[in-house]
Amino acid sequence: MSTATVATGAGHGLNVSLAICVRGMQRLRARPVLLIPTVVMPVFFVVSFTGAFSSLTRIEGYGTSNIFNWMAPYAALQGAVFAGVGGAMSAADDIENGFFDRLLLTPGSRLPILVGTIGYSAVRSFIPTTGVLLVAALGGLELPGGVPGLVSLYVATAGMAVVFCLMGLTVAYRLRSLRSMMIVQVIGFSSMFLSIGQVPIDFLDGWLHDAARLNPLTNVLRLSRQGFVGEMSWDLTWPGLVALLAMTVVGGLAALRALTRLAP
Amino acid sequence: MTGSGMSGVLTAGSQTWELTRRSVVGERRQLLSVMPGLIFPLLLAAVYTKQFSRVLDMPGFPEVDSFLDFILPACIVQAVSFGATAAGSELALDIENGFLDRLLASPVARWPILLGRLAGAAVVASVKTIVILALFLLFGARVAGGPAAMLVLVVVAALLVLVIGGLAQVMAFRTGSQEAVGATFPLIFVSIFMSSAFFPTNLMTGWFKVVAENNPLSWIINPVRRLVINGWSSADAIQALGLPAALAAVTISAAVMALNRRLATP
Amino acid sequence: MTVVIEASGLVRHFGDIVAVDGVDLSIDEGEVFGFLGPNGAGKSTVVRMLTTLLHPTSGSARVGGCDIRTQAGDIRRMIGVALQDAAIDPLMTGSELIRLQAVLHGIPRSVIRRRGPELLERVGLTAAVDRRVGTYSGGMRRRLDLALSLVHEPQILFLDEPTTGLDPTSRQALWAEVRRLNTDLGTTVFLTTQYLEEADQLAGRVAIIDEGRLVREGTPTELKATVGAPTLRVEVDQEHVATTRDVMTGFGEERPSREGRVAIGLSEGAAQVAAVVRALDTAGVTVIHLELDAPSLDDVFAHATGRRLEGSGDEQ
Repeated sequence: MSTATVATGAGHGLNVSLAICVRGMQRLRARPVLLIPTVVMPVFFVVSFTGAFSSLTRIEGYGTSNIFNWMAPYAALQGAVFAGVGGAMSAADDIENGFFDRLLLTPGSRLPILVGTIGYSAVRSFIPTTGVLLVAALGGLELPGGVPGLVSLYVATAGMAVVFCLMGLTVAYRLRSLRSMMIVQVIGFSSMFLSIGQVPIDFLDGWLHDAARLNPLTNVLRLSRQGFVGEMSWDLTWPGLVALLAMTVVGGLAALRALTRLAP
Repeated sequence: MTGSGMSGVLTAGSQTWELTRRSVVGERRQLLSVMPGLIFPLLLAAVYTKQFSRVLDMPGFPEVDSFLDFILPACIVQAVSFGATAAGSELALDIENGFLDRLLASPVARWPILLGRLAGAAVVASVKTIVILALFLLFGARVAGGPAAMLVLVVVAALLVLVIGGLAQVMAFRTGSQEAVGATFPLIFVSIFMSSAFFPTNLMTGWFKVVAENNPLSWIINPVRRLVINGWSSADAIQALGLPAALAAVTISAAVMALNRRLATP
Repeated sequence: MTVVIEASGLVRHFGDIVAVDGVDLSIDEGEVFGFLGPNGAGKSTVVRMLTTLLHPTSGSARVGGCDIRTQAGDIRRMIGVALQDAAIDPLMTGSELIRLQAVLHGIPRSVIRRRGPELLERVGLTAAVDRRVGTYSGGMRRRLDLALSLVHEPQILFLDEPTTGLDPTSRQALWAEVRRLNTDLGTTVFLTTQYLEEADQLAGRVAIIDEGRLVREGTPTELKATVGAPTLRVEVDQEHVATTRDVMTGFGEERPSREGRVAIGLSEGAAQVAAVVRALDTAGVTVIHLELDAPSLDDVFAHATGRRLEGSGDEQ
C-alpha cells in the first residue's frame, strides 16, 4: 500500500533524534526571547559573585588569585542547569499542548525521542556557557589550561545540561505539567550550592564539607574549572566524567521508564 | 467618600482590616507557596555560614563570632522579597480575573484595596522574620542590640514589604499582567546581591563596590547589621526604620496614582 | 470486505471516572465511520486507545489486524492521526513540520521532497508553507494537521473532531478533502464529531456514544428510521383534499395537518415520495406544495439519550 520504503532500526532512530534536536533549534530561531532566562541568570551570577566576593582571593589557600577564574565555570554550570531544565520544559510544553502525541505516534523505539531532547539541551547549554565566558573575559578571565581547559568546560556544561534535562523529563513525564519543572530547577540550584561553587573544599566546615565531598557535582566543578585555575590534570578530569556518565545513565533509565509508562 | 471625616476613616480602617484578613487567609491557605520564601534564604544563610568561616579573619571584616550574625539581615531581606512580589502578582491576578473591578464597583475606598493586600503580606513577613530570628538564635547567632533590635528587625521587614510590594503594585496597575509583575522578582533578587547583604562593601572593588555602596538596600541593611553586631544605637534604629518608611510612602503613593490613572483611562 | 478496526469490550477508567464503558466496534476497509457524541462522551478516549496512545483498562481491539497492546509499532505505521485541537507547534513553519513528520515516520528525503509539496497543494497551503504556524487561521491549522497525518500515506485515518471551531467554509473544504481521500485512495476514515451534520454528510455509518457507551449504531438513514417515519405534507386545492386523503392514506397513517393540507407518515421511508406523487398525478390532483420532514440525527440522539446535542441545547 505504502509507496515509501519505511526505514527502521538504528539509522531511523538517529534521524529522529537529530530531527528533534533540529526542531529545538528552529524554535529558538523563531523566538530568541526563549533564551533570555538561560543566559541572563548565569551572566548575573558571574557578575554578582565576582563583584561581591572578589576579596576571597586574598585568603590563603583560595585556588586562584583571579576571582573570574573561579566563578566563571561555576556560573556556566548553573547556566547549564537552566539550559537542561529549559529543554525538559519545552517537552512539558509539548505534552500540555498535545504536540507530544505526534512524536508518540511514530513507529519504533521511544529512545530517539529522549536522545533528541537531551541532545538539544546539550547544544543549548553552549549559549549560556559562551555568554558567561564573554562577560568574564571582560573582567579579565585567564585560561592557563589552554584549549583543553575550554573543552573540558564545554563538556562539563553539556553533560550537566543532559543530566538536568533527564531529571526534568522524568518529572515532566510523570507529572505532565510545566509547573513541576520548578522543582527540578530548585534541586539543581541547591545541589550546585552544596558544593565547591564559591570556595574551595578546604574552606567548608562541618556538614557542608561532607555534603560537598559526597556531591557528584563537586567532581564536575573540578572538571570544568581546572583549565582556568591551573594546569590540566587527568586526576581532576576522570572523576568529573565518571560522575556525569553515572548521572546520565541513572537519569536516562528513569526518564525512559517514565516515558514508556506515559506512552505504552 | 463624602461621609464625615472621622466615620470615613473608620470605615476605611475596617475595610483595610477586612481586605488584610482576606490576603492573610489567602497566604495561610497557600502555606506551601510561602515555604520556598523561607527555606531558600535559610539554606543560603546556612551554606554561606559554613563556607565563609575563613572570611571572618580578613582585615576589614566586621568583628563577629560567626558569619551567621553577619548574614541575618540579608536572610530576612531575601525572605521578605519573596512574599512582597507575590502581593503584587496577586493584585495583577485580581486585575486579570476581574475581582478588582468588583472591589472598585463596591463602595470601598481606593487605598484600603492597596493597603489591604500589602498589610497582609507585611503580617506574613513579620511572622517569617520571627521564625528566622528564632532559628538563627537557636543555631547560635547573637543579636547584640537585644530585644529592641529584634523588634526593629521585624518592623523593618514589614516596611520593606510595603516598599517592594508597592513597587510591584505599580507594575501591576501599569501592565495588568501577572507575568510582568513576576519579572520584578529577579530584579529584586539581583539588587540584593548587588548590595552589602552578603559581603561588606569595604572589601569589594571597582564599579561593583560603587553600585553596592549606593544601593538603598545597603543603607537599610548596614544600620540593621550594626544593631545585630555592635549593639543598640538609637541613631542606627532611626536610620534602619526611617529609610524604608519613607520609601514605602513613596511607592504606595505611586501605586495609588497608578490606580487612579488606570481608573481615569477607560 | 475486510474488517480493519475491531474493538470488543473496550473499557477505560481514569481513577474513579469511567470514561469508556464497554465499546464494541467493527469497521470495514474503505468505510467512513462517524463517531458521534457530546463533549466528554468518551470519543477521544476511544481514539487514543485505538491509536495506541492509551492502554485500555480492559477489553481488546485490533487495528489493521494488529493488536493495540502488543503490536503498537505496526499499527503506528499504518495509521494517520489528526488529534483534537490540531496540536501543531506554533513556532515552526509548515514545511519544517512536514519534514519533521516525514523523518519521524522514516520516509526517505527523496520521497518527501516530491510528496510534501503535493500534500500541501492538496490542502491548499502552498502559499503558506514558509510561514510560522502561529500565524495560521484555525482552518489552515486543521488542513496542515490533515496533511501531516497523510505524510506516510496511511491506510487508516483517524480524525478527532477535525472541524470543531471552524467556520462553515473551512468545514466544507475539509469535508471535501476527506471524501476525496476515501473515494480516490480508499482510505478508511474513523471520524469523531459532535456535529450531526458532519456525521450525516461524511459518514457511511455512525455510532452514537454517550457517557462511555454506544447507544446507537447504523447508517444515518437506518438510525433516523428508528426514530419514526418521515412526514410527507402536501398542499392541494380545496376541492381535491378528499381525493388526496384517499390516495395518501394508502401509503401511511394520516398525521394531523392544517386546513387544505394532507400529511402522512411514510411507513417505508422517504423513498416513497415518488410513488405518492405519481399516484396523486394519476388521480388528477395538482400538487401546490410538498414538504418532507425527515427526522435528524439529533432526533436519534435525543431519542437515545433524552438530551439534545450541540447548539440545539439552547432550545430545550
